[in-house]
Amino acid sequence: IVLSEGFSELDIAERIKKLKIAGKTYSEHREQAFEAKAVDEAIKLLQFQLTLEKDTQQSFTGLSTSETIYKCTTLGQHHKATKVKTDFKIPDKRFWWVKLRALVEVRDWETLEKL
Amino acid sequence: MSSTGTHLGNTPLNLAKLRELSRRELPEILDKARKRNNTDVRGKKGLVLDPTLTGPLSLIAEFTLLKDHGVEKIYHLESDTLETECPGLIYICRPKLKYMRYIANHIKHFSKTTKIDCWLFFVPERTMICERVLEEEGVKGDITIGDYAMDWIPCEDDLISMELDPSTWKEIYLDGDQTSIYYAAKSLMRLQSIYGLFPRIIGKGDAAKQLADMLLRMRREQSVTDQVTSTTSANTPSLLNSISNHIDQFIIIDRNVDLVTPLCTELTYEGLIDETIGIKHCFVELDAALVNPAQPAANNTKGVTPIPATPAPTNTTSPTKKKKYVLNSSDKLFSQLRDQNFTVVGGMLNKIAKRINENYEERHHAKTVAQIRDFVGRLGELQQEHQSLKIHTGIAEEIIGHTVTDEFNKVLEVQQNVVAGIDGSKEPEYIEEMINKQKPLVQVLRLLCLMSLAQGGLKPKLFDHFEREIVQAYGYEHIETLHRLEKLGLWQKRTNTAASRSTFAQCRRLLRLIVDDVDEFHPNDISYVYSGYAPLSIRLVQCAMQKLGQGSIQSTGGSAASLFSYVGGGGGGGGSTASFNNKEEKKNETGWRGSEDILKLLPGQAFDIKQTVEYGAETNAAMARAKRHGLQHGKTTIIFFLGGCTHTEVSAVRFLAQHDEGRDYLVATTQIINGNSFLAPIIQTRQE
Repeated sequence: IVLSEGFSELDIAERIKKLKIAGKTYSEHREQAFEAKAVDEAIKLLQFQLTLEKDTQQSFTGLSTSETIYKCTTLGQHHKATKVKTDFKIPDKRFWWVKLRALVEVRDWETLEKL
Repeated sequence: MSSTGTHLGNTPLNLAKLRELSRRELPEILDKARKRNNTDVRGKKGLVLDPTLTGPLSLIAEFTLLKDHGVEKIYHLESDTLETECPGLIYICRPKLKYMRYIANHIKHFSKTTKIDCWLFFVPERTMICERVLEEEGVKGDITIGDYAMDWIPCEDDLISMELDPSTWKEIYLDGDQTSIYYAAKSLMRLQSIYGLFPRIIGKGDAAKQLADMLLRMRREQSVTDQVTSTTSANTPSLLNSISNHIDQFIIIDRNVDLVTPLCTELTYEGLIDETIGIKHCFVELDAALVNPAQPAANNTKGVTPIPATPAPTNTTSPTKKKKYVLNSSDKLFSQLRDQNFTVVGGMLNKIAKRINENYEERHHAKTVAQIRDFVGRLGELQQEHQSLKIHTGIAEEIIGHTVTDEFNKVLEVQQNVVAGIDGSKEPEYIEEMINKQKPLVQVLRLLCLMSLAQGGLKPKLFDHFEREIVQAYGYEHIETLHRLEKLGLWQKRTNTAASRSTFAQCRRLLRLIVDDVDEFHPNDISYVYSGYAPLSIRLVQCAMQKLGQGSIQSTGGSAASLFSYVGGGGGGGGSTASFNNKEEKKNETGWRGSEDILKLLPGQAFDIKQTVEYGAETNAAMARAKRHGLQHGKTTIIFFLGGCTHTEVSAVRFLAQHDEGRDYLVATTQIINGNSFLAPIIQTRQE
């Protein structure tokens, strides 16, 4: 179970590989459905973050989903943020909290007004 | 005596003795280093300290003492290479692999340039692994290794601490690492060798049991070695062969028995300082402006001791200036305030301010020369009080800044509802809101774990929901965090609805943990420390104590009876009243007997061991002496928290002590914790 140490792997490709192993181990046990799903999501997020990094030249990997939304919003990548929301089934409430804070942070009153 | 130790030594159990012991050893090891290099460089040494040790060390020795023994500079042990002009270096650190690597790197670096003599002292002991690492790095030959058994740090007359890392509990129960139990046993043996054997050891919890077994074994080992070397032991009489006539019993409370208490927000003054500002080894870091209002010269006399380690060059760059301020009973004002519920503190400060003002005003009434002289004589004391009043008002203001916030009060409300067993839907909602606002994870987990503990696990739906929320909001690495919490029993899914009556709920009823009519101003029960919740750990102590008090010591009968009525009254509703009445008849029963039903509910074994030995000639003589003088001094009960205790629990024990005249209490702990430092080692850190 301690395979989640894969998170400490610095290289992203390597990390995904390790997580996949972890995910597989988890999926073999029925009572660990949550872990298995979470690891799957973690991999998905990492892959998504990799494409984000290419697009924005900013570092994303290692952030959580909320933090990813936060950063996307501060960078003005609103549709990317929404994509994270739908992909990871983020509850509306949390999404708007995060977005709100991010918009205030960059003082993007215009977008805030539009909401 | 030094400024950090003057407040000690006013109890029958002379703790200053303990401090002196650790203090004496320090110069010894420093001098040992000197003897070896009796060449021209003698005396000039650099001291390299484990950063986690500087605080505790400063409590037993001050910089001047080190200087007297040839210490020129103090460094922190860090990963980067150390540049020094000192020809001798002394490392003092805990036996951690990380440090061994640092040291090895340093030494390799030195060997390239100049010759530097190195000594390494492990606190409290060297370990095989550490020596092995040094060997593998090929530097073991270049270094002289020794031990420095700095174990007990006396913080107060009624509080001694081993000041280990705050992760003891996690190490024992998650990692299965029992090193700290071993250290505790060693340290307790030392305590016994100074004050005599504990006549009776009572405890609860598996780790506590291990500790007790270890103590008994060590004593047997000791007696064997004593027999072998009987000649030497005669010269240095150790009190291990006789029962202590100061200590009547020793209670070990395993942190694992009461996990609820540290998770609650502490509400005493000292506890809140720790929660909001943070107390480290009796020091609190305050804004320099607060401690130091425009008269820097007056500082040193006002109880502001510049910590010896600050000359280290590394921490001069901090942007906002922080000043360390010592918090102990040498500050009279603080000793009045520390154990009070915070709601009272404001009023007390106000009263004290008025009194000081009145005292100042007295000078106008002074007519005769004698009166004036009298006033001037008191002036210094007054000014000192004034100064400390200023500081505490400042601290209190800062805390009020926290306590008036919506957030603080909501968290508190959630905690109190959860602990009181009100199982509403508002609480989860608020926790969710905290997650949404991306509040610190520790805070969120504190509430969630508290909820899980108090309700015997979370409803499956909520459980799944929060797991998902946490992992998404704080990062997937916290799968591991949740795992650990689950393994530790802090985070559970409620298995079936029938088992909804959790152990905590039953304890709450049996031990009367929730007291509705608290009076923070005139507390009549320990529940005042949490404004209504009486710490489970301390209730257990009461359980262990009360019957003993009734049976053996007549003078305490009255107060013990009142404590008894508390617990007894708690069981009033259910059928347990009868069993409580039964117990009252069996007055001479002691220890855990009578509380079995409660103990059975809580995890871990309960035990009650009597240590009996033939009274040695020495003790007999001492007892005879005591009898001759008609000296019936109160006994001291030591309460040892294995895995740390909170400031608030200390306050609660002090409350017990106040209401129990015939007895003194000494709190011993592996370290002082609060909810945040308790959970922090469990949380997976992100490595980027």
